[in-house]
Amino acid sequence: MTAMLEVRDLRKSYSGVHAVDGVSFDVEQGRITGLIGPNGSGKSTTIDCIAGFQKADSGRVVLGSTDITGRAAHEIARAGLMRTFQTVRVYDRLSLRDNLTIAAQQFDEAKWTDELLRTARYRQAADAAEKRARELIDLVGLTRYYGAEAGILSYGQKKLVALAAALMPRPKIVVLDEPVAGVNPTRIREIEEVLQRLNAAGETFLIVEHNVEFITNLCHHVVVLDQGRKLAEGTAADIHTDARVLEAYLGMTPEMAEAEMRGAA
Amino acid sequence: MTTDRMRAVAIVAVALLLGALPWLTTSNYILGIAVSAAIFTVSAAALNLIYGYTGLLSFAQLGFWGIGGYATALTVMTFGGNFWLGLLWAGLLNAALALLIGYPTLRTGRHTFVIVTLTFALLVSLITRDWVDLTRGPLGIANLTPPSLFGFWFDTTARFYWVAWAYAMLALGFLYVLCTSRIGRTLVAIKQNEPLVRAQGISPMPYKLAAFAVSAAITGMAGGIFCFHLKVIDPLFLDFYYMQTFLIMVIVGGAGSFWGVVIAGIAMSALPEILRFSDDFRMIIYGAILLIAMLVMPGGFAGWLHERKLSRMRAALQQ
Amino acid sequence: MTVDPTYLLQLTLNGITLGLLYALIAVGLALIFGVMEIINFAHGEFLMVGAYAMSFALPALGLLYWPSVAVAIVVTMVGGLLVYEFLLVRLKPDEFERSILITLGLSIVILHVVQYVFTANPRMIDTQYGFDGVDIGAIRITWTRVIGATAALAAFGLLYLLLKHTQFGRAMRAIAQNREAALMIGIRPRVVARNAVVLATGLCGLAGAALAPIQLVQPGMGQFLIFKAFALIIIGGLGNIPGAIVAALGLGLLESWIGGFFEIAFQEGAVFVIMILVLFVKPDGLFKRGAMRVG
Repeated sequence: MTAMLEVRDLRKSYSGVHAVDGVSFDVEQGRITGLIGPNGSGKSTTIDCIAGFQKADSGRVVLGSTDITGRAAHEIARAGLMRTFQTVRVYDRLSLRDNLTIAAQQFDEAKWTDELLRTARYRQAADAAEKRARELIDLVGLTRYYGAEAGILSYGQKKLVALAAALMPRPKIVVLDEPVAGVNPTRIREIEEVLQRLNAAGETFLIVEHNVEFITNLCHHVVVLDQGRKLAEGTAADIHTDARVLEAYLGMTPEMAEAEMRGAA
Repeated sequence: MTTDRMRAVAIVAVALLLGALPWLTTSNYILGIAVSAAIFTVSAAALNLIYGYTGLLSFAQLGFWGIGGYATALTVMTFGGNFWLGLLWAGLLNAALALLIGYPTLRTGRHTFVIVTLTFALLVSLITRDWVDLTRGPLGIANLTPPSLFGFWFDTTARFYWVAWAYAMLALGFLYVLCTSRIGRTLVAIKQNEPLVRAQGISPMPYKLAAFAVSAAITGMAGGIFCFHLKVIDPLFLDFYYMQTFLIMVIVGGAGSFWGVVIAGIAMSALPEILRFSDDFRMIIYGAILLIAMLVMPGGFAGWLHERKLSRMRAALQQ
Repeated sequence: MTVDPTYLLQLTLNGITLGLLYALIAVGLALIFGVMEIINFAHGEFLMVGAYAMSFALPALGLLYWPSVAVAIVVTMVGGLLVYEFLLVRLKPDEFERSILITLGLSIVILHVVQYVFTANPRMIDTQYGFDGVDIGAIRITWTRVIGATAALAAFGLLYLLLKHTQFGRAMRAIAQNREAALMIGIRPRVVARNAVVLATGLCGLAGAALAPIQLVQPGMGQFLIFKAFALIIIGGLGNIPGAIVAALGLGLLESWIGGFFEIAFQEGAVFVIMILVLFVKPDGLFKRGAMRVG
């Protein structure tokens, strides 16, 4: 298994606070990796540093065989790393169709001259983008809204649009920042299924989440952060019984956790 | 014929009809208003590109308008060039200035951009007043020679109207193609959600700079033409009144709507004439329109129509 | 070039007075920006209204300076309250451009209504101090200038105490520093915003009242000052109050010195060129973006 994304010794501090304090992990190609941790553990900052929205103080990030450390966000996207945002971002006043085709714009070969003269190259690129956009919209179940403005959708539906847009340029890896935060339970199951289907087709994901059940159902591999450092790493099952994780999340030892569960039964 | 084709034919027909105006009326008064309408609409459309589409409120347009006017006038009257060369200068000089100002200010925030563009416009105004050696100060440059082409002199209002009309057709045509292209769509995306644009592999800076430079050049050339219509240019050419007029046209028509702004531009050009009886009163009406529009209808008429369409779409999708 | 020391002193003192008045305007803008993240384009018109109020109050109150100033301040504060409650309250936090356009419309309306009603003829006003002043060597500094400067200083002192030691002021600083956190602990943004606007317009009214005996009172008097004030708050660091004061004093001194040693014609142009250069070189301002640091 090759590593699609390698993060080595990432560090970022502000005003003396070590938000990310030497974090290292790999995301294997074709697998879903989860990144979890209590509030303030540095998950969002780690993602922002990886995706180029913040500049890490030190460390290395390698995507495939390309070093993307410290590069600008748009360059990292072009290198093949697409991300979504914790508070969902879509173009509210553009149609779903436009929302998706813009995401593919930077990755086709047509230039503005091609568009102006309506060359064959432009038409091919536009058709290909349109085709893929329809496929992805069908995949996330929003076909009837294809021509509608994204602003009329619900929060959960927008999350699906954001996911579809991230997939448009056939990225090497998709980084999802809290994909089910603020989403109702039925929708969460829906998103889980979509992600499983995509992964079965070969997509690689790195998912940051709070929702432990979601992570457990989906992820092959889980990395736990606490106070800017990697606390533990392993399968979901490993994490559930790891003493350090229990301590950090719940403030208990394994014995206490067991006692809790027995007490609840 | 498809609806698209019909629309295109209709637009071309209207454009040609407008061009035929000097044969439909001999009134210099009406033709004068028509010249203003053409030029102000173009300037409003240029402001729409940078503000309506890209989301950057630029007060620098007034500065570009003034520099364009002075550049053209000086080329003809002081440096012995012809009108068309002067217009070229107006375009190039302003585009260059826009890139120069834009590069440092666009990298900070939208707040700084607005203030710096405002300061720039005021600086230009001061320069026209104080750099007497070049601009002749408050006296201005009068008796501007009318333009000519291959011996044909555009020395009557009717003939000059054709210069204004031709420019309006070219400039608006160019802006239309730009606004409906992928570049235009990217500008709109940048306005709506810049971080998302970056996450999709697009660097916003080149687009913002391009929009700024294009709007500067177009406004500059519009200013160059307008001062030759007035036949004089002086520091009053940089009166804030012009900026307010462009702004109101964009706001009332609908920021971000190409046709909304064009229609508003043409419709509102007659307004200054109607309110001619009192300067203060006209300005009070302008201010009130701006205020009320921003409070009640910030998307202008185009925005209001769009909202209605959205409600119907929402209702249809609920079924 | 030999410089006459009393001339330089006069220029410097004038510059400081001018700077303090600019500061009154800039601090008000910084206050409003810090709390609401909007820029009040009608700020100059509040100054003008304050000056006009002063010009009417003085003859009515027997040329007494301080009561007239009080009237001017009250008038502008009430104006600010009305503007907030009817217009600004409708603005949501991210509507920067909309705030500019609304206040721009307001500024146009106020200016031209005043011009329509009172004509553009400048009003000269007289105070109880007349042209008396304090003599330093061969030059005279009029009381009206001295008092204007003193009033400004007093206002800043009060503002400092207000922001640092009262609930009222602390709430403002909290919202400016971290809006979400402030909301979570129960600070009401509407109340704080309203207070900020009233306070800012009051400062403007004071500036206008202080300026009235020194300069001509005319409808356009606020316009030019306000554009400089905008540049000042950027240079001082958006929302940074001490920064705005420093920038304002700098501007006042610069204007006074340049005007005193070079032709007056270049004074404004030169000052603007300097401001725009500073803005290019340091578009984020010379000081840090303020969260109303008060020392």
